[in-house]
Amino acid sequence: MQPQAHKIPLSTGELTYFVAGEGRPLLYLHPAGGVRWTRVLEELAKSFALHVPVMPGFDGTRTHDTVKSMRGLAALAGEFMEKAIAGPCDVIGCSFGGYLAAWLAAERPELIDHLVLECPAGFRPKGRGERPADADALRKLLFLHPEKLPPESKPVEQEVGNRKMLPHYGATPDTDEELFARLPSIDKLTLILHGTADRMIPKESVQLLKSRLPHSYLVYVWDAAHAIEVDQPERMLAVLGSFLERSEGFMVNWGTLAVNPG
Amino acid sequence: MRYTVRATEDRTIAMKFSFFHLMPYTHLDLQSHDWPFPNRDFDPAKASALYKTYVESMIHAEACGFDWVGCNEHHFSPYGMMANCNLIGGALVYPTKRVKIAMIGNLVPLNNPIRIAEEYAMLDCMSGGRLVAGLMRGIPHEYLAYNIPPGESWERQREAVQLILRCWTEPEPFGWEGKHFQYRQISIWPKPMQKPHPPLVISASNADSAKFAAEMRATMGMVLLADLPSGKENIRVYREAARENGWEPTAENVLVGMHTCIAETDDEARRWMAHGLKYFDQVLMGGLQASQRIVLQKTRYFESEESRDRWKSRLDKRRTLTLDEAIERGTVLCGSPETVVKQIKRIHGELGHGVFNFTVKVGTLPDEVIRRGMELFRDRVLPHVRDL
Repeated sequence: MQPQAHKIPLSTGELTYFVAGEGRPLLYLHPAGGVRWTRVLEELAKSFALHVPVMPGFDGTRTHDTVKSMRGLAALAGEFMEKAIAGPCDVIGCSFGGYLAAWLAAERPELIDHLVLECPAGFRPKGRGERPADADALRKLLFLHPEKLPPESKPVEQEVGNRKMLPHYGATPDTDEELFARLPSIDKLTLILHGTADRMIPKESVQLLKSRLPHSYLVYVWDAAHAIEVDQPERMLAVLGSFLERSEGFMVNWGTLAVNPG
Repeated sequence: MRYTVRATEDRTIAMKFSFFHLMPYTHLDLQSHDWPFPNRDFDPAKASALYKTYVESMIHAEACGFDWVGCNEHHFSPYGMMANCNLIGGALVYPTKRVKIAMIGNLVPLNNPIRIAEEYAMLDCMSGGRLVAGLMRGIPHEYLAYNIPPGESWERQREAVQLILRCWTEPEPFGWEGKHFQYRQISIWPKPMQKPHPPLVISASNADSAKFAAEMRATMGMVLLADLPSGKENIRVYREAARENGWEPTAENVLVGMHTCIAETDDEARRWMAHGLKYFDQVLMGGLQASQRIVLQKTRYFESEESRDRWKSRLDKRRTLTLDEAIERGTVLCGSPETVVKQIKRIHGELGHGVFNFTVKVGTLPDEVIRRGMELFRDRVLPHVRDL
């Protein structure tokens, strides 16, 4: 997969985005560290036309003067979908991107088919979850298996720089009360993923989210920290692929347990 | 002085005593067997009578002042006739009122962890919150019986224990995408009565398992000790690991189990224990030792060579010890009530544990001797050791 970089003019400014693969469109909203090309994205690009916008201010891009809130960012993502994808599609949001995806689902539900919230930020009970003080702390919180990081990955120091954009968009480190109040109105079929070793987003966050989102499924991924895509790509792809393909039918075991079926 | 149930209820800080039953099949000739143990000589009528006797003894343990009544799971062997000890737990729930129902326990890597979570939750609800939940890894031969790769034992144990805890504590339905276990959505009915979950016991007979028990905030369980210093070392490792995991175990978080025979005199107790041990070592342990050799030599059932060597050395030591030597070493409780009081005090002085697990049915040790021993425990042992 070779992601192709594009630029698109939006009402608030120009937006950089990547497209990889062909097929049904799939929007991926990146985490606070910026775009990280993981094995999960590579595999998804084999079945989907993966669209990965770079939110203004991340990965060296310019901010848009009038976009200064999560709601504003959701409006921008919605406009991007209308112009670049031209219709509703499945949406995956990772961490900060999950927070944004939830805002997008609240603001522009008509644009979303399946919604996937991967260890989403924005719903941490006050004071819960560890917050990284520096690049080393961030690395430890993100990866249980850092050896699985692709060698060409950007340095964590650069991810730390990206994270400085969070206050710019008013992204709360705790619970976004306004968004939280709107969760029951989001009727999209939603998959919530959480690593069993995630110390940045505590399990209480996803439990709370699960209890408020009416059509949601929570799945824990064993032996994964916050960066599930890096720590356990196969496990994540097994659940994600099935969910995107079969909707509620992802709960069914469609294979066989027979070792020697004859 | 008679020991009463009321007095036990009032105890807050005291040594707890557990009446543990292996439920062996005791009608075989004295000869050793290979693995698997042939079942051609199994007589269901005799087994039926044994089950009745065993369960009645366990129920009677409550009236004899025991705090826990326990049993465990074994497969393919007359060593223990409890393929699923939870069935015995179900038989104990309603005839008892106070004792903890100690399933110590289900063999986690061998079974469906969801089923364990469900059955334990049933027992906890049925007993009004009296379950002690043992989450055991099993001894090596069980892996041959259930066709589970012994080399995956630790991975399956770690993952399954975490999954079981989630089954009991998650407030909403959830899925689990693991290495050994995958469930797209889980929501067990019932959930346990005890919150956040029933107390756990995890076997801790070597450093690796002691650390894991501490990590899971479980009571550590040690049985068939080779000697007291090795038990003491495991307890040290457990306490240290617990502190690293942010908690401080109490005495009640350490369970020590031993073969036990209490009779009117030392001579009588030794005679009966020797009789029972002969069947235990020659018959019940026979097939198990052969299978364990295969598993230990050919697989990575133990993650470290040190743990494997310690296990083998522990079994070898046990096998070669005479009864007198075992009593001297403090790895068996055997004697008159007065002698057993001294033995309990000595072992407790060395180990500082809070739960003493008596394995009472040692091989062919007669059930009427066990019954009498239970009464001697109630009347002449417990009053002297309950406040240790």
